[in-house]
Amino acid sequence: MAGIQKMTTGLTGLAVARHPHQTLKVLYNRILGQLEKMPSDAAYRKHTSEIIKDRLQAVQTESNVAALEKRINCGQIEEVIKQAERELSLSRKMLEWKPWEPLVAEAPQNQWKWPIA
Amino acid sequence: MASPRIVQQGIKQVKPLMSVDRTEARRRVLNLYKAWYRQIPYVVKDFYLPITVKMGRDKVRELFLKNKHVTDIRIIDMLVIKGQMDLVETANIWKQRNHVMMFFKDTVNPKPKDFLSKFYEGQE
Amino acid sequence: MASRLSRFIRPIASTLNHKYGGASSRTLGCIQRFASFGVEGETPKKPTVASHNPLVRQRLRDFGAYIAECMPKYVQQVNVPYHDELEVCIHPDGIIPVLSFLKDHTNAQFLSLSDIAGVDKPMLENRFEIAYILLSLQFNSRIIVKTYTDELTPIDSACSVFQAANWYEREVWDMYGVFFANHPDLRRILTDYGFEGHPFRKDFPLSGYVEVRYDDEVKRVVVEPIELTQEFRKFEANTPWETFPQFRQIEGDVQKPMNPPEEKK
Repeated sequence: MAGIQKMTTGLTGLAVARHPHQTLKVLYNRILGQLEKMPSDAAYRKHTSEIIKDRLQAVQTESNVAALEKRINCGQIEEVIKQAERELSLSRKMLEWKPWEPLVAEAPQNQWKWPIA
Repeated sequence: MASPRIVQQGIKQVKPLMSVDRTEARRRVLNLYKAWYRQIPYVVKDFYLPITVKMGRDKVRELFLKNKHVTDIRIIDMLVIKGQMDLVETANIWKQRNHVMMFFKDTVNPKPKDFLSKFYEGQE
Repeated sequence: MASRLSRFIRPIASTLNHKYGGASSRTLGCIQRFASFGVEGETPKKPTVASHNPLVRQRLRDFGAYIAECMPKYVQQVNVPYHDELEVCIHPDGIIPVLSFLKDHTNAQFLSLSDIAGVDKPMLENRFEIAYILLSLQFNSRIIVKTYTDELTPIDSACSVFQAANWYEREVWDMYGVFFANHPDLRRILTDYGFEGHPFRKDFPLSGYVEVRYDDEVKRVVVEPIELTQEFRKFEANTPWETFPQFRQIEGDVQKPMNPPEEKK
């Protein structure tokens, strides 16, 4: 690890991550494992695995934290970890909800018409 | 989660509010009535109401019987929900004396029916 | 205070009097107004309506298509109305999935719930429309998620997704009478205890049903039915003024005859 580690993230309640690379790798692999269980033509699976694989590759190739933050370009590395945690919990819930199925029911006629007249 | 269940009601399928059949709705109404009935002595005491316990219980009965014509399970449920909220507000003394006495409408004069009383009221 | 004010005013008044030879206060006002007009005329006029940003609109459209592609089970319609904001119209079953998706997905991150609003359209079968307004701090963007319900159909509470939904849903319950299933603490928030009815419904009379006064005989505030009840209200679907002329649907789509407004119970 190059240089001095940062002391704080500057965000309340968000502590500096000790081993961001390791945490992120574990999280990303878990997300990919969850995505594997979805049907292969689900758009959510396609788009999410694209993002996650891209980030995973960045994590694997870039060892400097500051450079990695710059490359992912989605906030500090601690925030990226939070995002991965949220994505993981979402992917677990998505398996329950199955949102790739066809529409539940059409809206009643004129429901979304505005102005009504 | 109660929402995904579906109740067959006539031809239309609707999402239930709480109860899925008439017996369940009836049980909820009776439970609410019992809860109100048991709460009345405390209500009278806590709020120093100028009424007797008997009068309070009669009022509860009257208010429940006011809706006895309702047959739709979902409307019954909605009335039970509102009655339950009212009970909580009363039991926790979030209400004040005047809010509880609102049920009694003791200052409202009945509307004049016959000609002479209407005349006295200055309506005709 | 008054003396301090006059101290400020006096020098100005004296100079003006000196300049225009003791003009009355009325003419002074005219001069000042005239002067201010002159200043305004020099600066270029700014349009009062925000102009479009075609780039932003295109991005919003793309993002809307992305949401619709990811959640085809729930999203009924996605549109970018007149202003540059995205509207996602969903089936009421999909409130929690869609809100969770928008909150937790890496490409959305709408972590903040700004507001939940209700709309009453009494001529429709599902008369209430609930709009969730979300904000993404990460991508500096807002989104509106809309769904519908009627008086007796419960809709799922968003409290499990957003803590902020708690009070907003209580407000919608209080104002419109929309029941939120699985809400941790659903009770009134704005109206007084013992208040009957839901004031933001279109069939709620403007004058209310009751009036409140202090009665000296019983020594408490009493509530009595109001005499000025609103007898009849016609629900006109036509807008009285041309609000959004660019917003009208021009296609000759088939119109269902409007249902008559429901009777009060």
